[in-house]
Amino acid sequence: MSPRTLWLWVLLLLATTYAQAFTLDLNKLIDAGKKVGETKEVDEHGEAEIGNTAAASLLGAAPLVDNPQLQRYVNKVGLWLAMQTERPDLPWRFGVMDSDSVNAFAAPGGYVFITRGLLLQMHSEAELAGVLAHEIAHVVKRHHLVAIQKNAKTGLASDLLSMAVDNTGSQYGEWQKKAISASTELYARGLDKEDEFEADRMGVVIAARAGYDPYGLPAVLQTLDSMNPQDSNLALMFKTHPAARKRLELLDTLMTGTMERYASQPVVADRFEQVVGAYARAGK
Amino acid sequence: MKKIASVLALLFPILCMAGESAQTLVDTDLMQEPYSDAKSLAKLKAHTAVEVLKRMGGWLQVKPSENPEGWLKLTVVKLGGAGAGADTKGDTGLTALWNTATQGRSGNTGVTVATGVRGLSPEDMKNAKPNPEAVKKLGDFAVNKSQAEAAAKKAKLSKHDIDYFADAAGSKK
Repeated sequence: MSPRTLWLWVLLLLATTYAQAFTLDLNKLIDAGKKVGETKEVDEHGEAEIGNTAAASLLGAAPLVDNPQLQRYVNKVGLWLAMQTERPDLPWRFGVMDSDSVNAFAAPGGYVFITRGLLLQMHSEAELAGVLAHEIAHVVKRHHLVAIQKNAKTGLASDLLSMAVDNTGSQYGEWQKKAISASTELYARGLDKEDEFEADRMGVVIAARAGYDPYGLPAVLQTLDSMNPQDSNLALMFKTHPAARKRLELLDTLMTGTMERYASQPVVADRFEQVVGAYARAGK
Repeated sequence: MKKIASVLALLFPILCMAGESAQTLVDTDLMQEPYSDAKSLAKLKAHTAVEVLKRMGGWLQVKPSENPEGWLKLTVVKLGGAGAGADTKGDTGLTALWNTATQGRSGNTGVTVATGVRGLSPEDMKNAKPNPEAVKKLGDFAVNKSQAEAAAKKAKLSKHDIDYFADAAGSKK
């Protein structure tokens, strides 16, 4: 072997080793990228699929109130609020659930629900707006989406991607089962407290952006704080949320000096009384 | 129709907070106006019973039995009244109307109406059977942006550009 050939061999060997090392690193990078993608970078299609399943689980626990006028009213208030956020173009859907329980829920992709029990405790549209805006904030920040995916043992979004587009296959059925149990478990257990506080902070700003008195949410929290914690209708809400008094105090500290200038914005009590009052008087 | 609605509203001033009983949570000043630098009218001890007249922003106008009307911050007031124990349900808003409508009806017939299981307990939630039809039904009540905007305009709601609060780490959230 001439010295020249030897050099060529050495070079080739080095190049191969380098290439192998590079390939390995690249694979690691791709894996890391996938992991990030599974929890954070779900596309809107994946979010909508997971959201549909989560919403179906919620409405399986308590149905919608059969009152189109009431439902359309809540959709008008809700969409106006959602239009003031960073995700105005989601297919937002709002609904009143036929339940004595006092609670409100959000699901990925733009679903927001409030129970009759909570709606009837309110005094004005600004209070309704405060609660809807809190739930809208959960959707905007994808709180449930991230948590549902964490609950599922494997990545729901990547499973969706690897699946055939055919939504009727048995594979999809399996996927749905997993998504259902991950979401019902989440709604029974609740989000992290910090997610709830964040939704409170964003909710009062969203309500103020939409032109409402931003103290609607604090007023509802004050009402919740006055209710008997032993009441079974409050069990899920109290289990899944930080104490109402604590939330009220945190908001008050934050809003003093910053939100007071918007406190004279309308509370829209008359329209609320007209629509929700008609529903309450009829008892259906 | 409008006239009837306004007459009804006069007959049933149900939604102003007037008449809701409450109590102070701590020793506090009763203020003349709803501002923290307003004149103090009196010192109220913790657990003083007050009647709530109305809310304005983060303030409640109240009437203590021994003092003139004044203002207290939301945070120093607990709704539900002094001496109200854990047995008070604390129903406010339109709940009383609903109860009259639903329970009144059952009273008239002398039959107790079973409203069915309408709870959303943690157990109910875990055992929920999904209802995809109800999700589709939601679409029937959806509105578009111009309908939402028209409704806002009707209520004299005007939008503002307001930043979110910064969180503890300093980022806008």
